[in-house]
Amino acid sequence: MWPTSWGRKQRSSATMITASLLLVLLLWLLTIPLALAPDPIGPNAQYFAEGTRVTVQLTVISGLAGILIGVLAALGKVSKFPPVRWIASGYIWVIRGTPLLVQVLFVFFALPVLVPALQMGDFASACVALSFNVGAYNAEAIRAGLLAVPKGQIEAARSLGLSPLFTFIDVTFPQAIKIALPPLVNNIVALLKDSSLAYAIGVVELTNVGNRVQAATFQPVPILMTSACIYLLLTTLMTQVSNAVERRFDVEGRQP
Amino acid sequence: MNVVQFPPAAAPATNPLITVDKVNKHFGSAHVLRDVTTYFDAGKVTVILGASGSGKSTLLRTLNRLEKHDSGTIIVDGIEVCDHLKELDALRSEVGMVFQQFNLFPHMTVLENVTLAPRRVRKTPRDQAEKQAMELLERVGLIAHAHKHPFALSGGQQQRVAIARALAMQPRVMLFDEPTSALDPEMVKEVLDVMKQLAASGMTMIVVTHEMGFAREVSDRVLFLDQGKVAQDAPPEQFFGAQQSERIRAFLGQIAG
Repeated sequence: MWPTSWGRKQRSSATMITASLLLVLLLWLLTIPLALAPDPIGPNAQYFAEGTRVTVQLTVISGLAGILIGVLAALGKVSKFPPVRWIASGYIWVIRGTPLLVQVLFVFFALPVLVPALQMGDFASACVALSFNVGAYNAEAIRAGLLAVPKGQIEAARSLGLSPLFTFIDVTFPQAIKIALPPLVNNIVALLKDSSLAYAIGVVELTNVGNRVQAATFQPVPILMTSACIYLLLTTLMTQVSNAVERRFDVEGRQP
Repeated sequence: MNVVQFPPAAAPATNPLITVDKVNKHFGSAHVLRDVTTYFDAGKVTVILGASGSGKSTLLRTLNRLEKHDSGTIIVDGIEVCDHLKELDALRSEVGMVFQQFNLFPHMTVLENVTLAPRRVRKTPRDQAEKQAMELLERVGLIAHAHKHPFALSGGQQQRVAIARALAMQPRVMLFDEPTSALDPEMVKEVLDVMKQLAASGMTMIVVTHEMGFAREVSDRVLFLDQGKVAQDAPPEQFFGAQQSERIRAFLGQIAG
């Protein structure tokens, strides 16, 4: 796709920038092609576009928070201090062992009853539930990455006088994240689709929009197909970005 | 076994750079260092020999706390080797280490490998750190490879980068843990040449190796470890010459094989 004279870094940057621009353009201009579609999509184009934006917002916010939570929980799980390990393991155990739908409902309905200070709107509740959910799955991916970094790397960094913090930032983490990247991407793609569960607490995202339009028009086929196509478009762009990131980390040129 | 006492290799200086006093170390039930007491003088090259499992790598690794010793004291350049994090980092930036498996950082270029520690620990500005790194890479003959990643280099080249990386911290002493054992025979020489050049420049070096040629030619002193004890401490001409210990003669015979 890119000129053959370009290096690995240039190609991967070009792909990242292009895919990100396409995503922004898509969110911005999605109304135009949808408006051209026949009834029942055309008249509701604005509505679909708005739902898509909310879906992307949920995914981006929860995705970023989820990576942060994942890193912290992974560090907790490999910590030297048993209580920290127990907390991290407990968190991962609970989140992976219960349905996401229950978690979304819990944050929105049950949490404010238990802790009145944590009363949040529907969008914020969905973000919290999704962040903590994807964070637990990310934690396992990142932990696997951390454990895969050879011990000699840490010994080399420490013997150079690097502090434990810089050893982590400069040596361990970049190598761990490279190993963890494919499963992380998997989790984020799953998150994009799972964000549809925010529908249960009334967040007007893509699936919710589809449902509402369907309830008004009784035409499930075109509506569900439109929703599916938009999800597919979003995941495709996301995969392009993540492939480019993977390529960037691939200094050895092992990817075809 | 009987410890054959030669006259001290070099009369212990009044103020050695490193002193090791009654150091013990266990791995589980294995007692790998037994009351090891020795010293290392500034500007000298010491080679540590011994059979596999004799504790030579462990002794080297206790000097910069990659292994904790169970008892005894180690003092490096006035700093006691202990768990205190700040002192430990100060100690480690004075002590360079070269590993058998090179342990270069694979995600960084050669230049980034060499500049990382000076920039992070010594807070050297980037351009200055890079200038120093290029001088070091020139010394080890790898200036043309500065912008490559380690995977693109041969084992011998990687080990020379690792030496340059350790030297970039301007250490007082360099530890070598079997630096040529993972190398193809034709690459051993290029690494040994760099080490000889380093020895000639007056660097304090402690080398665990099986390269008898290097020990004979370059070292000032040979320390032979057997079952976690210093079994002999002699200058190389005595160690390789009129060797009286049966055990060591057998060892040397096997190595010369």
